[in-house]
Amino acid sequence: MPVHKFEDFIESLMQKAPVMGPVERKDQPGFYLFDWLENPEDFIPAYTGTTLPPKKAFFPPDQVLFDFTADTPPKIVPRQQTFSFFLMGVHPCDLAALAALDMAYLEPPAEMLWAENRKRAVIIGMDCMPDEYCFCTSTNTCHARKPCDLFFTRTADNYVVEVYSQKGRSLINQFALKKATDDDCLARDRHQYRKENAVCAHFHADVAELADILEREELQETWKEIAGRCYSCGSCNTTCPTCFCFNMHDAFDVNLQSGHRHRTWDSCQLPEFAAIAGGENMRKERWQRVRHRWHRKFDYLYRQFGMPYCTGCGRCSRACTADINIVDTTNQLIASARKPASE
Amino acid sequence: MVYAPELATILRISDTTPTEKIFTLQKNSGPLTFSAGQFIQVSVLGYGEAPFSVCSSPERTENFDICVRATGNVSDALHRLSPGDSIGIRGPYGRHFPTQKMQHKDILCIAGGVGLACLRPLISHIRHHRDNFARLTVIYGAKTPAALLFKKDLEKWQSDDTMDLHQIVDEPDENWQGPVGVITDPLKTLAVRADKTIAAVVGPPVVFRFTAQELLHKKVPEDRIYFSLERRFQCGIGKCGHCQLNDVYICQDGPVFSYAELTGRSEATEACLPE
Repeated sequence: MPVHKFEDFIESLMQKAPVMGPVERKDQPGFYLFDWLENPEDFIPAYTGTTLPPKKAFFPPDQVLFDFTADTPPKIVPRQQTFSFFLMGVHPCDLAALAALDMAYLEPPAEMLWAENRKRAVIIGMDCMPDEYCFCTSTNTCHARKPCDLFFTRTADNYVVEVYSQKGRSLINQFALKKATDDDCLARDRHQYRKENAVCAHFHADVAELADILEREELQETWKEIAGRCYSCGSCNTTCPTCFCFNMHDAFDVNLQSGHRHRTWDSCQLPEFAAIAGGENMRKERWQRVRHRWHRKFDYLYRQFGMPYCTGCGRCSRACTADINIVDTTNQLIASARKPASE
Repeated sequence: MVYAPELATILRISDTTPTEKIFTLQKNSGPLTFSAGQFIQVSVLGYGEAPFSVCSSPERTENFDICVRATGNVSDALHRLSPGDSIGIRGPYGRHFPTQKMQHKDILCIAGGVGLACLRPLISHIRHHRDNFARLTVIYGAKTPAALLFKKDLEKWQSDDTMDLHQIVDEPDENWQGPVGVITDPLKTLAVRADKTIAAVVGPPVVFRFTAQELLHKKVPEDRIYFSLERRFQCGIGKCGHCQLNDVYICQDGPVFSYAELTGRSEATEACLPE
């Protein structure tokens, strides 16, 4: 697709259904967020990354699950959005994260809320260039394509469009695109090569080894050292594309006649996350919560689903209020685990 | 919708202790089928949702009980409700006590405090099918005599010569005739047929730690000591993350676990297992 046709393509999508894509934050120029496009030119193809991941299209930070009345007996009315939409411009790491969430939420007993929301969207991926926080080559997500319908890679004058579904194909039919030439494919491959080589942060172990490494008992002191720097603010979880823990709470309307049950994102780093009735807390110590996060990403869910629940997007490192970098910290854990016992 | 509760009506409220109330509930759409050890999510609309063990006999189908200690937003709101009021429920959820495996075995139920609510369905189930089980022993410890739950049941069990009941309190009042001490005291002197016994333990983490120690000392095998773990479950379907213990979701994989299933899981050791 010629670059000059790209805005026409977005416009054609917008005529069919709402389009969510990366736009520049008006309050913070140079930062981006996934939002509903008002104009085709709002879409920023070369965005570096968004603060919040695109999972919010299917699992919003704050969502009303159902409305209720205060009658006797009360009425409960479930809420489910039904309109179709396009999720456009998703980077490979974030595609991999959606695949991870598909597995976690659809694992029986499946969460139909997620499943229904996923059915509403056509997903269009787009390749990117890394910044200093990205480490997708370490999580094997650098070239992830699942679960997208179309995937765009920018070359000098064109976009090379990979088609992954019939739904995707139907969207580009009207543009009478010419078949990608060998040169086009070569240009795309060159982009991928440049991208891989531009990733400057790397784990010092294969991601498949981390599950065993993290279970080493001698890491106790390292967990405590890392926790000594952590503020337990939860920024890492709230910006993570694969975190899926949540809270539920009720709120009455001001008339006190009706209300809503909300579901909001939660963070396992917050002190009260594992508190139970009667005052006990199952992860009272900060190091226990820090350890839990690493285990969930690279051990528990890795063993359950065969992929790390970290896609190398670097959002947690960018967002960390204490500058805890996930790559540096993971490498610190790897080094501690490999240190001979005598030292 | 998976998170929308069904309506249920409060039939009766009985005060059993100064801090706990027993609610007898009926689901508006029909009976609740559950097994001993399962829990439900209870909604007081406008206040939220919280998990409670079903504490009545699984054989009683027309209605069911929950025991509520007022310790939080939802439980406080429940305590303010009256018979006839509506609440929401979801469930039952979770893995129940292994009543099949327990057949023809000596069953030792150990309850600390409000933990008796979770064991009451198991005890009722065994008494209902008494010939299918060998010895039934219940050890129940509470802080004070006033805190003892289900006093009518305790009287019934005390006079039932097909079972043994040992009650113990930490802080006696002037009328208390029974033993004073902690829950492991009657366990220490109890004659246990280790090869025939299955234990079911429910209570605060400290109860797990010390009873497990004593049961292992008595040579009860690790796969025949069962705990029911309590967490602040939110979804009940293994998604919200609140009940995770290492790699398991207590709401789905539990809340009933054998000691053998918990040992080796660092978060279980730190919380409730013997060192």
